[in-house]
Amino acid sequence: MSEWPSAKELKERFLNDIFDQQVFNLTSEQCVEYALACGELEPRYTDETHPDFQAPPTFPSSFRTSQHLPSEFPKLPGLGMHAGMAIHPRKPIRPGVDLTAKTYLYDIYEKTGRSGRMTFMVSRTEIFDPDGELLATADSRSVVRERPNQ
Amino acid sequence: MILDLHAHSIKSDDGRAKVDNYCQWIRAKQIPIDGFVLTEHRQFDLDSDYSGLAKKFGLTILKGSEVETEYGHVLVFGVTAELMKDFDFTNIKLPLAKVIASCKTHGAVPVPCHPGRRRVGMSAHLEEFGVPDGVKIVEVYNGGSRGDEDSVAQTMADKYGYQGIGGSDAHIVSHIGRCATKFSTVIHNENELVEALTSQNFEPITNRGEI
Repeated sequence: MSEWPSAKELKERFLNDIFDQQVFNLTSEQCVEYALACGELEPRYTDETHPDFQAPPTFPSSFRTSQHLPSEFPKLPGLGMHAGMAIHPRKPIRPGVDLTAKTYLYDIYEKTGRSGRMTFMVSRTEIFDPDGELLATADSRSVVRERPNQ
Repeated sequence: MILDLHAHSIKSDDGRAKVDNYCQWIRAKQIPIDGFVLTEHRQFDLDSDYSGLAKKFGLTILKGSEVETEYGHVLVFGVTAELMKDFDFTNIKLPLAKVIASCKTHGAVPVPCHPGRRRVGMSAHLEEFGVPDGVKIVEVYNGGSRGDEDSVAQTMADKYGYQGIGGSDAHIVSHIGRCATKFSTVIHNENELVEALTSQNFEPITNRGEI
């Protein structure tokens, strides 16, 4: 695709439709391993016998969806790169239960800068416990910017 | 009175500074400004009320916007709800003529910012689109300028008779006040800022060598 669709067009087509859904069942070992890799010292994150044992708040950053954009999303003719992540913890994530992660495009916006035109896509993953309670959201941002000769 | 006319808070997608932290920094580091204008990218923040912070720190905190046109980025001072209905602030291809006309209708002031910057500065587009009608003020000191960007801006302002303002274009706290604008009157609100800009009694200043 050589045309660069506007953010408005992309939003109308792709926003808020769940394009990836997965079920995770975390183990205590995975939670501890992640916590230690982060340099975490709090026993509730590193000691699985702790009465309030849980995954560290940033744990959703380690979840990998099977795709980061909807299948039909057009390939923008520029240079793509990761543009940051934001985690919003709401309730503790605990091991041993089925967690459902649903991902959809939460926002698409564009801007111009020294390097030219840029389109940002914000994929939001919502993590639910077996009762459907929202435990956390993870917003992963990617950007495609114009190639220098465009 | 000295105001930094170009700053971004976390309300902008690339802003990393909380307004509270700007205020603390200004006072802690004795930055020589009396206040600043939050010109968030491609939006106008109708909701936030900074009057409490302004009072607490003895600063003037005003709101504007930075929109994007075919001539590059443009600061808009004196944004109203009516002006916001006139064009889509999120559109990155706004016609500058439309922005200028809308500002005139609704009593706002448009100011092309960092005009010496490639791609997003007005001077980069003069050859392609010509000299736009209705521009009276441009930002000649921008705290984020690199290389000769400010001198290109000043040369353009001199050539076409534009008045100049200064703004830091701060996105992080330590950049606030790098450049600013000195007014001959005291400004308490956005209406007074528009009046002051219209009166032409102001001058750009740069604090880059001092802070």
